[in-house]
This record gives sequence, structure tokens and C-alpha cells, in this order.
Amino acid sequence: MSPERFIDLVRAEQESLRRFLLALCGGNAQEADDIAQDALIRAYVASGSFLGLSKFSTWLFRIAYNCYIDNHRKARPEMVGTDAPAALNVRASEETDAAFRYQQLYQALDRLSEKEKAAIVLHYFEDRSIKEIASILQIPQGTVKYHLSTGRNHLKSLLQ
Amino acid sequence: MKNNNDIESFLRENRPQVEDNPAFLLEVRQKMRAVEGIKSEVDRQRDYGRTALVCALVLGMLAGALAMLLAYMYPVDTEAISDGVISAIRLFIDPWKQYLMIPVAVCAVALSVLLGAGGRKTAGI
Repeated sequence: MSPERFIDLVRAEQESLRRFLLALCGGNAQEADDIAQDALIRAYVASGSFLGLSKFSTWLFRIAYNCYIDNHRKARPEMVGTDAPAALNVRASEETDAAFRYQQLYQALDRLSEKEKAAIVLHYFEDRSIKEIASILQIPQGTVKYHLSTGRNHLKSLLQ
Repeated sequence: MKNNNDIESFLRENRPQVEDNPAFLLEVRQKMRAVEGIKSEVDRQRDYGRTALVCALVLGMLAGALAMLLAYMYPVDTEAISDGVISAIRLFIDPWKQYLMIPVAVCAVALSVLLGAGGRKTAGI
């Protein structure tokens, strides 16, 4: 794959990819962007092995998720606090309740298991189908449904 | 939040917003260029190693052929100058002489494989 073609494909996916990682990283935009860059470089190096058996975005998200897991294993991020970077993503001029909702959401997401969190983020923030999520997380579709169900239940109790 | 619809709407309404970052793709491009540089350097080193190996094999075979040619063209009485060493070597090799072509054949196959691999790479296969 030529660098130009790769950049064109990445340009179309970068916002979605960064949002996915931002949610996984509890709102830490710097960490999310670092992982996104790492994932994109890994994808570029491996782009010769992309056979087109799945969509490019699914393949890219799978690499990004694996990068996130590697990064997360190396250093478990701190729990989101009131002054965590999540709050910095909301402009000061915006309503405080929006900032509070983001904080609440990131804190709740951080309490879920990795698979639950990824399934919830991909399904509700990125509108990915169960089949795509299964391909990204490399788990069966039934397991994705299970994680979505348990993730929703956990979030319900956490966001009471 | 009492039911699934509440939590689903809450999640969809609070989708995180990413800030526009023009430097993001620029940094990716820079890193891609660095990767390309590393890849071309690795390829260059591999080509250099392969060329050196092919040269060594070719030179070895040419030197061997030249030595044989000279030996046939200018035969000398080796026994007189080697003090019986060559006779001893000849006697040692004699039972195995039919296998002497095996290492030569192995070198020839290695050479053809290396040249073939180099040719396929040049053709972009």
C-alpha cells in the first residue's frame, strides 16, 4: 500500500479512531493520541499483510485495540479524578453539567472490564455492528452481546 | 436510569468529542517517513550481504577453475616438493572421490537460489 493511499484511508478514520481511544483512555487525549499514532505506524508497517478480508477500519481498530491493551498492561492508568484530563476536553465556556456528565461517564467506563468497555464504546459511540465488534476484539459475536449486556447493567448501577 | 433505553440514550448523547488536531496527521506522516528510511536501510544492508555472498561464491569457483587449469597446463612433480604429503592426502581422499562433486553442487544450487531471489526482488515479485 502506498503512503498516499494509506494516509487517505487514515484521514477518513482518524476522528473515529481517536474518539474510540479517548473513551478507552478515560478522556486522556494525550495518551489516546499517542496510542493512535503507535497503532497507525504499526498498521502502516503491516499494511502489506492487509488482504482486504475485513474492512480497513475494522483492521485498523483491531490494531488500535491491541496497542491500547499493550499500553495498558505496561502501565495501568490512574483512576479519573475531578482534575483528570477528561475535564480538559470540555471547553471552559461549555456548561458545567456537560463536563460533569463526561466525568461521570469516564469514571463509570473505567470501572468496567476492558472487553465490556471496548464493546460499549464501539457499539454506542462508534455505531459498530456486533459482527464488526467481534472482529475488532477477536471474540465470538455471542460474547460481544454478553459484554454489551453486562456492561449496560454495570453502567446503569454506576450511573444511578 | 432504570432501563436499557435510558442508558443507551445517555451513551449516544454523551459521545466523546475529539478536538481537531491538524498536527496529528503531520506527525503520522513524519513517522511514516522514518519507517520508510529504516526499511530502505534494512533492504540496502540485505542487498549488500547478498551481493557479497554471491561475489564470494563466484570468486571461489573461478579461483578453483583457474587453479585446475594451471595445474593441467603446467604439471609439476608434486611428490618432489611435498615430501609425500600430497600422496597421503590423495590416498585419504581416494575412497571418497565420488562424493567430491556434492559440495560443488551445493555451492552451485546456493548460488542459483541467491541469484534467483535477487532477480525476483528486482522484478518486484
